[in-house]
Amino acid sequence: MIEPRFDELIHAPTRLSIVSLLAATEWADFKFIRDSVGLSDSALSKQLTTLEDAGYVEIRKSFIGKRPRTSARLNSVGRVAFERHVAALQEIVARAGASVRPQ
Amino acid sequence: MPEDLRPDEAARALTEIRQRQEQVIKLANIPAWYWWAIAGLMVGFSAAIDSHRPLAIAIGTSLFVIGVLTATARVVIGGMRRTQLRNDLLGPIGVLAILGFVATVLAVSLPTAFALQAAGVRYPATLGVLVGAILMVLSGPWLTRFLQRIMLAKRAGSQR
Repeated sequence: MIEPRFDELIHAPTRLSIVSLLAATEWADFKFIRDSVGLSDSALSKQLTTLEDAGYVEIRKSFIGKRPRTSARLNSVGRVAFERHVAALQEIVARAGASVRPQ
Repeated sequence: MPEDLRPDEAARALTEIRQRQEQVIKLANIPAWYWWAIAGLMVGFSAAIDSHRPLAIAIGTSLFVIGVLTATARVVIGGMRRTQLRNDLLGPIGVLAILGFVATVLAVSLPTAFALQAAGVRYPATLGVLVGAILMVLSGPWLTRFLQRIMLAKRAGSQR
């Protein structure tokens, strides 16, 4: 049973999109996240740094041949925080009854 | 818990979460050409075996191995350039579905081939595998959709 806990850091719209995307993956390429969420390089870097500083995300830099590659993964702390946040959102919706349902 | 977050805002956030996860899971798509390629390679390999000519068997075996490895690598590596889906999304049901799919194709191909051989039909292995290959081409896309459904059901926020 996951203890619901609303997370202000995750709930910010752009970060919610990024974390939701990462939550379904082991890791994701920087360009893939950027294109999926529709952010500029700098905007995504800023959001990933915020998540990294919070201890939710790990950023890895590597080389494929001579090309640099950056990828991000939601670590176990981030996964738990995300699951708790989802549970908190579900609780809010559940308390409102059947009048409000996610699509 | 924030008192100021309205239920409709929470519902919108849950919808966003589900859509983002669906966006990633939909990438785990085995393209239709893959099933056709594997089916074609299987039939070609069987035809080489049925020919009973060492050179044809050697060429057929080589083409089959290289072809299967190349096609599979292209599908797997193509997807992994962008992201790798969470390993636990598939779960035991997904693994069983894949094993069941392979077992069904074999369960159709092998008895057909042996029955044709017993009946004295020429090229029994080729014809038996052809039946299995047709089954694979027809049901491969269904397997892909089924696996995606399993992963969508296991994503965060799907249990209510």
